[in-house]
Amino acid sequence: MTSLIETRHLSKLYSRGVYALRDLTLTIDKGEFLFLTGPSGAGKSTLLRLLLRQELPSEGELRVGGRDLAGLTAAETQGYRRTVGFVFQDFRLVPRFTVFQNVAFVMRVLGVASIIQQRKTFQVLKWVGLQHRMHAYPPELSGGEQQRVAIARALVNDPQLILADEPTGNLDPDLSGDIMNLFREVNARGTTVVVATHDRELIRRVGRRAVTLDHGRLVEVA
Amino acid sequence: MRAVRYSVDEALASLWRSRQSAMLSTGTIALALFVLGGFLIGTTNLQRLGAEWSSLAELSVYLRDDVTEAEQHAVDTALASSAIVESREYVPKAAALARFHQTFGELADSMDSLGRNPLPASYEVRLKPVRADAEVEALAAGLRGAAGVADVRYDQQWLARLRSAIALVGRVGLLVGAVFSLAASLTVAAVVRLTLLARRDELEIMQLVGAPAAYLRGPFVMEGILQGGMGALAALVALGVTFVALRARYLAPLAAALNLSAVHFLPWELSVLLVAGGMLVGCVGGVVAAWSR
Repeated sequence: MTSLIETRHLSKLYSRGVYALRDLTLTIDKGEFLFLTGPSGAGKSTLLRLLLRQELPSEGELRVGGRDLAGLTAAETQGYRRTVGFVFQDFRLVPRFTVFQNVAFVMRVLGVASIIQQRKTFQVLKWVGLQHRMHAYPPELSGGEQQRVAIARALVNDPQLILADEPTGNLDPDLSGDIMNLFREVNARGTTVVVATHDRELIRRVGRRAVTLDHGRLVEVA
Repeated sequence: MRAVRYSVDEALASLWRSRQSAMLSTGTIALALFVLGGFLIGTTNLQRLGAEWSSLAELSVYLRDDVTEAEQHAVDTALASSAIVESREYVPKAAALARFHQTFGELADSMDSLGRNPLPASYEVRLKPVRADAEVEALAAGLRGAAGVADVRYDQQWLARLRSAIALVGRVGLLVGAVFSLAASLTVAAVVRLTLLARRDELEIMQLVGAPAAYLRGPFVMEGILQGGMGALAALVALGVTFVALRARYLAPLAAALNLSAVHFLPWELSVLLVAGGMLVGCVGGVVAAWSR
């Protein structure tokens, strides 16, 4: 299997001399479902931010699809981000948009034609089981529903990679299971999924490769 | 094109959502352009006044009493061949005295008591409206040096002062307008920045999905442009209403007193420029806000 993400001696050093990531060498294959785990401050979110190119490595190399993320221009970064979907613990939905608008928004700001926006948004909402709630606003939805909208938003642009940062952190165990099932289905369609979570029980239930970080270092691959 | 449409849609929606603060910045732009527009109306009318007075100004060439026919002919030829002379009229001594009697009847007796006609023969020269001061000065200097000429009078000095005063009023207007426009730009920037802060979650999502800069910043720049355009239109309407209200009672009598044919509102070219200027002021505010986030 070919690799999608490669890190070599990757470090992220913050200004106060604190390493959020240190000497991380890791390969994630195309189509893989990987958990990043570890306690708070282990470096999980930092790795996701580096993968979203919200931050740049201090040392080492980070490649996605063979491209060194540190070397991307602003225009190339835009192009790269269009191939990545993201899901956050706090959903980050726009409260003044309906469910439909929240999902279609991604394609709207990428200049996709209106007719395609509508078709794809409806398809992806149907896939996450929320087509009947498409006119509702985020505050009217449960936490699980809001996270499904966020997943729909992450998927609508057909990304090659989904990054999820504690996606079940605000959900009860049953809803967490539902959300993980969605990620498994996404992964089954060939999309690479990287989920950061500190929930060991969830990782055990899903049963995929898990990389454990602690104080920025890789301590276990299971 | 989609980016422009997106920017316009978002800017209109944003202006409606934050209409109170938008009214504040639009009002500031309107006030700035009202002041600037007022100065422009004043300056354009003063320029017309200067042009009308200049066109009425005459060059008077007074001849010596002992001027010979040849000398007078030489003066006449010099005036006839000048490119800046519109027309000329020879006023003999007797005609000058007759005019004096007609104009200053009550002083005619004292003039008669002199026992002779002290008024010189002269040429009254009407100049072409389009001319350079240097050309007039050169013509006057040439005539002063000509044989048979006693004096040459031209209201050059006060016309030059009038033009300087008009230019000064124009410069003060531009300065005041520039200061007000800067204040308006900063107000727009502050208001657009409020919108930007209110939408930071949206903007973060847009950045993360790789939205182009035109979609990220376009709505905020467009919001500034729309505020500027609306402010300028409001200023034009206010200027128009004020002009109409003042015209009959104050402006028309003032024009008559100054011998100005009429007081005019802003020419349409300047009105268009004023709206474009308002949009530019708003655009600058929007750009400052969008690039400083």
